[in-house]
Amino acid sequence: MKREKATTLYFGPQHPGITGNMMIRLKVEGDTIVKATTEVGYLHRAFEKLVEKRNWIQSFTLMCRFCVPEPDPVENTYARAVEMIAGIEIPERAKWIRVLILELARMSSLLLWHAGQGHSLGLYTMGQWSVGDRNYLLDLFEELTGARIYHMYVWPGGVRKDFPEGFEEKVLKTMDYFEKKLPDYDNLLFENSIFQKRTQGVGIVSPEQIIEHGVVGQPLRAAGIKSDIRIDDPYEVYDKLKFDVPTQTDSDIWARALVRREELRQSIRIIRQVIDKMPKGEVYTKLPNPQKWTIPAGDAFARTESVRGEVGMYLVSDGGNKPRRAHFRGAAYVHAVSLLEDVLVGANIADVSAIMNSLGTCPPEIER
Amino acid sequence: METFLGKIKDRISVNFDLEKSSIDIEKKRVDVQIRKEQIPSILRYIKENMNFRHLMHASVVDWLEEGKFEVIFMLWAPKEKIRVFVRTKLDRENPVMENLDMIWPQLNTYEREFKEMYGIEFTGLVAPEEFILEDWDGPPPMRRDFDTEAYAKDVFSERIGREDAQDVRETIAKRSGEVIPDFAKKHSR
Repeated sequence: MKREKATTLYFGPQHPGITGNMMIRLKVEGDTIVKATTEVGYLHRAFEKLVEKRNWIQSFTLMCRFCVPEPDPVENTYARAVEMIAGIEIPERAKWIRVLILELARMSSLLLWHAGQGHSLGLYTMGQWSVGDRNYLLDLFEELTGARIYHMYVWPGGVRKDFPEGFEEKVLKTMDYFEKKLPDYDNLLFENSIFQKRTQGVGIVSPEQIIEHGVVGQPLRAAGIKSDIRIDDPYEVYDKLKFDVPTQTDSDIWARALVRREELRQSIRIIRQVIDKMPKGEVYTKLPNPQKWTIPAGDAFARTESVRGEVGMYLVSDGGNKPRRAHFRGAAYVHAVSLLEDVLVGANIADVSAIMNSLGTCPPEIER
Repeated sequence: METFLGKIKDRISVNFDLEKSSIDIEKKRVDVQIRKEQIPSILRYIKENMNFRHLMHASVVDWLEEGKFEVIFMLWAPKEKIRVFVRTKLDRENPVMENLDMIWPQLNTYEREFKEMYGIEFTGLVAPEEFILEDWDGPPPMRRDFDTEAYAKDVFSERIGREDAQDVRETIAKRSGEVIPDFAKKHSR
């Protein structure tokens, strides 16, 4: 009788690698993975079907729910897609506020990544620190939008409301706090020899995989390709801001971690510039009654750079008061399915959650 | 930009028999529509010979009134910084097209989703049976003629106490003999 060498191991649906539920069916020989299959289906909420039954503004309230750790890029993508089809020009100040929101969301999501990447390797203190500090950003969101996680703030035509009094000062003080705090993060995570040993040379994405799987975001930059939608296909006012796009060459978890480390600093740099240069004025263009608002027939594809990479939305209008189709594409849709299945082959079981976290796996974004 | 986009469009139309083509300067985009049989060759040509390496997105739109599914492939040239949208229309009654995941392996995921959500068959697609919908035997749910509410009423039964607008808490209390205190009564439902 021939003996089967490989064993099947069900990894998930709950595990420390990611936010949300997703399972990976692993075939393992000893500790080594020989085949990995992503299985989703735990979080499907049919948002894209719901959108077809709701008007343009009602649909906007669903957008932030596509990806829990970073809702704002999706809101921004939807708002810009609607504006492209409807031909709406938004006020200059609204564009600056949108960039501020996107960068604050970026910071908040990067802090969550610090926690996730730490957790996946057993460094729990990192998560306690970074999630604790993230609360200061959530306080800012709460003051500005009324909500901590799902802001529903960036909507077609601009943003919902202007800053409350003294908000700019509060943002700058929060940035001061983070600048002082970041060296501690280096001490705790990046200079930690366990973290370095567990991440260097692990989870390598090859140049062929990059083109084949449409890799975006940090995995792309960690492979030495200087690509960022904020610079390549600029939106809002990113072309008026100065910031660097960090790159690395090793394309492993460690390289991606170093890219993220630097991006957190770049976000602070952008936020300071936005507060400094932001003009005064209106924050939204007045739109018709949402119930009766129809948009001319047409389609648009808008995309935004999120922490996980570019996120995009294909939006179609048939001339009615509801979207005909709103199809969202998150970075995790390719990173966590076809790419992850490839990268996991040859990896060790103990590294699975670290690799998942490093590739920006976000299950709610895959099945929407 | 206009002449550049025009050149891209001309280069595609010289090599392929297009049904429709247009350019949009504001969106920096070239749109081409082609018969489904030519989709693999046009995508391969645009990817390899014209440097549109990055597949940004692929999508399906159900044009129920026309009896067609529109499949769209959205490509991006990182160097030239422009996009090409390749479209094709499939017959809604028999939506079949060739598998394309040898051009971009990431298309495998999209095809699995389109198969499940719209019922589009990709000949030669090798993939696990289920993607998002588990044990699903109804019609493809993203089709515009799929009535979510009617399907739910038909397939799933109401939980006891929810047949009509009954108060769940009172029904359960009646069954179990629990006495609901006054302060809780007004909050139920």
